[in-house]
Amino acid sequence: MAEVQAQLQTQMRDKPKRWDLPFSRDLPNEIECRDLTEKELDDLLEIEPFSKMDASKFPKSLPLREILRNDTRTRVYHNGDAVVRVGDYGNSAFMILEGDCRAVIEGLDPSALGRGKKQQRSALDSLMSLFSNPKSPEVRDPSLYPQFAEAQTAKPSSSSGRVFAQDVPNVLELFPDTYEKTQNNVMPQGSLFGELGALGRVQRAVTVLASDPTRTKLLEIRWQGLRDLMKFDGALRAHVNQLFRSRGLLGALQSSPLLQSANLTAEQWEQVVAEAEFETFGSYDWYGSYQQLRQKDVDPLSQEPIVSEKGQYPNGLVLVRAGFGRLSRQHGYGEHTFGYLGKGDVYGLSELMHNAESDTQMELQATLRAAGYMDVVRIPTRTFEKLIYPSLKNAQSRGDLPNSVGGETLDNRRDETISLLDVDTSKADVKKAEAKKADAEKNNLDPSMMEFLVENRVINGTQTMLIDLDRCTRCDECVKACASGHSNNPRFVRHGRIHSHYMVANACMHCEDPVCMIGCPTGAIHRTEGGGEVVINDLTCIGCSTCANSCPYENIRMVNVRDQSNEVMLDPQKGRPIVKATKCDLCVSHHGGPACERACPHDALKRVDMNDLDLLSDWFNR
Amino acid sequence: MITFKKRRTWGLTISVILGSLFAIVMLAYSVMLNNTAFFSGWVLFTLMIFLTLYNARKKLTYPPLFKSASWMQFHIYAGLLSFLVFFFHTGWRLPTGMFESTLYLMFIVLAGSGFIGLYLTRTVPKSLAHRGNEVIYERIPRFVKELREQAEALVIESVGFNDSTILSDYYSENLAEYMSRPRRFGLHVFMVDRMRNEFQRELGALHRYMNEEERRVATQLSDVLVLKDDLDFHYSRQGMLKGWLFLHVPLTYGLLIFAAAHMVLVHAFYGGLS
Repeated sequence: MAEVQAQLQTQMRDKPKRWDLPFSRDLPNEIECRDLTEKELDDLLEIEPFSKMDASKFPKSLPLREILRNDTRTRVYHNGDAVVRVGDYGNSAFMILEGDCRAVIEGLDPSALGRGKKQQRSALDSLMSLFSNPKSPEVRDPSLYPQFAEAQTAKPSSSSGRVFAQDVPNVLELFPDTYEKTQNNVMPQGSLFGELGALGRVQRAVTVLASDPTRTKLLEIRWQGLRDLMKFDGALRAHVNQLFRSRGLLGALQSSPLLQSANLTAEQWEQVVAEAEFETFGSYDWYGSYQQLRQKDVDPLSQEPIVSEKGQYPNGLVLVRAGFGRLSRQHGYGEHTFGYLGKGDVYGLSELMHNAESDTQMELQATLRAAGYMDVVRIPTRTFEKLIYPSLKNAQSRGDLPNSVGGETLDNRRDETISLLDVDTSKADVKKAEAKKADAEKNNLDPSMMEFLVENRVINGTQTMLIDLDRCTRCDECVKACASGHSNNPRFVRHGRIHSHYMVANACMHCEDPVCMIGCPTGAIHRTEGGGEVVINDLTCIGCSTCANSCPYENIRMVNVRDQSNEVMLDPQKGRPIVKATKCDLCVSHHGGPACERACPHDALKRVDMNDLDLLSDWFNR
Repeated sequence: MITFKKRRTWGLTISVILGSLFAIVMLAYSVMLNNTAFFSGWVLFTLMIFLTLYNARKKLTYPPLFKSASWMQFHIYAGLLSFLVFFFHTGWRLPTGMFESTLYLMFIVLAGSGFIGLYLTRTVPKSLAHRGNEVIYERIPRFVKELREQAEALVIESVGFNDSTILSDYYSENLAEYMSRPRRFGLHVFMVDRMRNEFQRELGALHRYMNEEERRVATQLSDVLVLKDDLDFHYSRQGMLKGWLFLHVPLTYGLLIFAAAHMVLVHAFYGGLS
């Protein structure tokens, strides 16, 4: 009996909790990896906005001082170091404690930002893992977990929400003068930035560089901490909301490929920003209601707020900043969905282009609904016609206005009755337009497939696993390949919703809007920098299941983890197994991309970005 | 993205070109009065090694070694070429000795199983996709058990109606064995639908002897039988997709051993590799 108890004791592990690994220790650099001292915390509490916060408003379980201690860290940057980089995903915001920074909207060469390759296993490592993989599934090395004493001195293998400071000496001198106008803004001490990306789950809109000649000291706040600070302090909440609105609007407009092609002057930008409207439709936590709707079999269209309705006068150009929209038209007694819009897409462009130069005014040709939620920027028609149309018209006449710019689709409506090219009148253009239309019609998605994709919110995926069941031999090579690289346990299930002979398998889709990241108390689930894959840091996951419960597609699984003796690790208090969240990580640490796709012998499996309709229709029409 | 049609055209074209080149080289060798058997034999053995390596590639998930689908294409067309090379090597004649006959037969069966496998992998998935629910092969026995329990529960329910034994008698006489495990393997393999609705028809015929409640249960039982038939269909055809590899893969290694022995013998009796 005593032997059994002793054995049980060895299996007992402390159940991981939030703040087991403070944010300040979640760094790969050992010099920076340290706890904040009491003196530093005192100093922080003496500066704004923390000095103005009422500590008594914070609950006992989340005291202000402990939030600062565990959810923030100080980082020192040198002149020219990149703090955040445009296009990255990040889970933290920054406050300038000393020195200053510059925000650069665009124009930096990626190499100047030091975008490095992802840390990947070498080919030899991958080969050796075939022989070194443990026989049991989900075996972990307990000594790596931060809650164990020995791990306190060990370097965590990865960190959440960190931003690498890049040594780019004198990088600011590399910029041409154009950035000194509106696109290279100096941010003084006390400024807060990065909150848009951290709270809105969107890519960083700007690159921020440390620009103080001596040093720039920043306070990095992970989004869970920022969320809690905003929750219990009204002033910070109001401040962040104001920043969110002003920077979100400006950032969205300036990052739009369409508006970029309009080459606006600084004054024109100001005017567009002043006149544009920032609107949100639907619910930010759409996934909760979506799950309920699925269970109750409610008509989803009835729950999707209308952004613009077919037949209305086009009162502005709609730019989708975040979320998704359903495009539909009346068909019989119902609505026929024929397309969808995502981040970066525009709506109403064709009609506005037509109306700007024609006496006959064209009404909106489709209804746009928020599928879940949608953040849109609406540029009023008069502003569009006055400032944007002249440039676009020139670009169009030169043939410089493609349907897609920088990988972002300008107009996703494949079967529109009008298109950008319809406005052209010359015979050559008409022929070109007809050829393009014929091509588009050939490549159109099956209407019922379109309904299926929108209805099931599959459009959210950037790496959706599609399986062609007409080619899949059910050999499970994809499953085996996945398991071989992930603790002998596949990170997906070859099962899922089916339409026609296509299956959307239960594999993480690495969503455009990753709702699984909402509510993670430790930031264990995060976007990788650069690629933006949604991954889970096993070391900081406390097994709370929040992400698994939030995922509308049921693509995250909780697993019992084992130690190296193949025994399930147990929580000493309750005697329950310690669990961790697991999901597809797109094989980020391996060569060659997702193993599932590479292992399929029959080209039946494909990871697809649902925003890339060309790729999607090509794949469906192979 | 390249379409399947275009890929097939390319694959066949390259294979025909390579096959023709091989035939020309063989012709040139024979004109020069060289022994073509050694050349064709080594080409064939190299092709066999390459074809076998595909199985090893499947085990190596992460080393950057082309996609499995690309290997599969190489495998198909190299297999096709090896068939041509084999007949050149054997001189389009049947062997006479016991060893050579065994080797010959093994190659023919192996190549045949490859062609059958190709046919199955291109046709069976379609039939699976359009019949019943998608189900994982290993879970089918569990689902069959669940269906059997459902069916038995229905039959027991029917016995409670005025002590009627119409359904229970029919079940024990005709359905009990059918529901006990996956059945009708052969019929599903050859896609014979003759028996598909047999039980439903018989149950329908029994309706005249049943009261209203029994008919309701019989209808529910019919639905269960449809599900069982679909499960059997998947079990048979998915099993077939997995099963042909049990012939193809072991035979590959057997043939390699025999081919290696054949080469040693040939070179030994010919006076060595030189």
